[in-house]
Amino acid sequence: MKVVLALFCGVLRLWADGHGPAFGLSTATLGAGDASLGTAMMWRSGVYMLAPYFSYGVTGNFQVSVSSPFHLNHGNHPVGRFTGLMPGDPETEVLAAWRFHHNLTGVGTRNESTLYVGSSVSTQHEPRTDGPPFHRMPGFYLGAATGHISRRFYVWSGVGYQRFASVGGDHPNPTLLGSLVLGWRPPFLDKEFPKPDGRFFWETTGESLGPGWRYEPSLIPDTPSAPPVCDSHHCVTPPGPTGIVAVSKSQAVFSGPTFLWTWRGVALQSGILFALWRGPSGVQPVDRYRAVVGVSYFFLKGRK
Amino acid sequence: MIRSMKSAFRGIAVAMLLLAVEPVRAEYLLIQLKVYGLDCEVCARGVSASVGRLAGVETVVVSLKKGTVELLLARGNKFKMSDLRNRIRENGFRPMEATVTAVGRSNGSKFEVLGSGESYDIGSRAAKTDAIVEISFEVH
Repeated sequence: MKVVLALFCGVLRLWADGHGPAFGLSTATLGAGDASLGTAMMWRSGVYMLAPYFSYGVTGNFQVSVSSPFHLNHGNHPVGRFTGLMPGDPETEVLAAWRFHHNLTGVGTRNESTLYVGSSVSTQHEPRTDGPPFHRMPGFYLGAATGHISRRFYVWSGVGYQRFASVGGDHPNPTLLGSLVLGWRPPFLDKEFPKPDGRFFWETTGESLGPGWRYEPSLIPDTPSAPPVCDSHHCVTPPGPTGIVAVSKSQAVFSGPTFLWTWRGVALQSGILFALWRGPSGVQPVDRYRAVVGVSYFFLKGRK
Repeated sequence: MIRSMKSAFRGIAVAMLLLAVEPVRAEYLLIQLKVYGLDCEVCARGVSASVGRLAGVETVVVSLKKGTVELLLARGNKFKMSDLRNRIRENGFRPMEATVTAVGRSNGSKFEVLGSGESYDIGSRAAKTDAIVEISFEVH
């Protein structure tokens, strides 16, 4: 029931370009002067997340986006990034996308590659079962995607890596994310503009979450002594042991269908991924599936 | 009475003369541009909106299946083909060959679209004349 609510009551994300993998990385960017505004409802094992975002096309190949997902309730997940182009935790992220390779080979056909660089800051103190909430801290994201686009088929593959700075002895786990997206526009949806446009995708994501660390005596002792924490004047060795955060260090592979529909500047998208393989650690809940539903509006006036 | 009629005829004659000597304009009238890379409704809508803001454009028709952008231009426009190509690139797509109908002047193998400052090599079709003519030609 919760899944149904998430899928149909929520409004979910579609990333910026109208090509629309819901989870994986893709390559397209907005036209110069174009913008999009949208929001998404994301769901994973009982945790709901609302994710508003805004994107702006600086040039035809360079786009800047701001997203700020936040939790509507709290779970016990490791810090992660289960979508390629948006944080998976309560963070505000600025993401720059540079389409550095752009080979337009025919009518409706292109091969292209895009580099993503992002910086984020956490916005909510998330309750944790393995200790007090992490301090707010900056995160950094680097990603890349490459793909082939045509009127009938789409293929994208991408990889992203997110890591965080250490603040107050807290160091959330880094995340490595890979994705493969196959897209198909069946003949009955292959309509001439300005009729509605629809596409199906099959998305597969793989994630590897590294260890998160913090200086808390209640955590599993893992190293004999804590390293010093320094500012510009002096260094302090924090009391207590350094430990691996129990809710971190996991791997998973998800796969499933998503759908994108666009018309008159509005894009609707939904999808669900099922766990093909997972290796959770600690006390974290098992993700069996993840879902997303979203809507975007494109401001396509371009430049005067 | 006769004097006032003469005055009226004179006024009409002057007005007709003024209309007759309105300068002959030269401009693009119709452009069908092939565009590579257009694959989706949002892409087409972005191109349509962006190109439609260029001065002189009356209507824009984008075809995803043919990969074309067709423009009908207002009389007396100062439209430039280079602006159209730049606009397509700004949207992330690639302008290719075009079929153009324009009013201009031939000079050797060149056809100049007066007012735009743009000229095209149209080969043997061009006639060396100062006359303003309307022709259709391919641009590669």
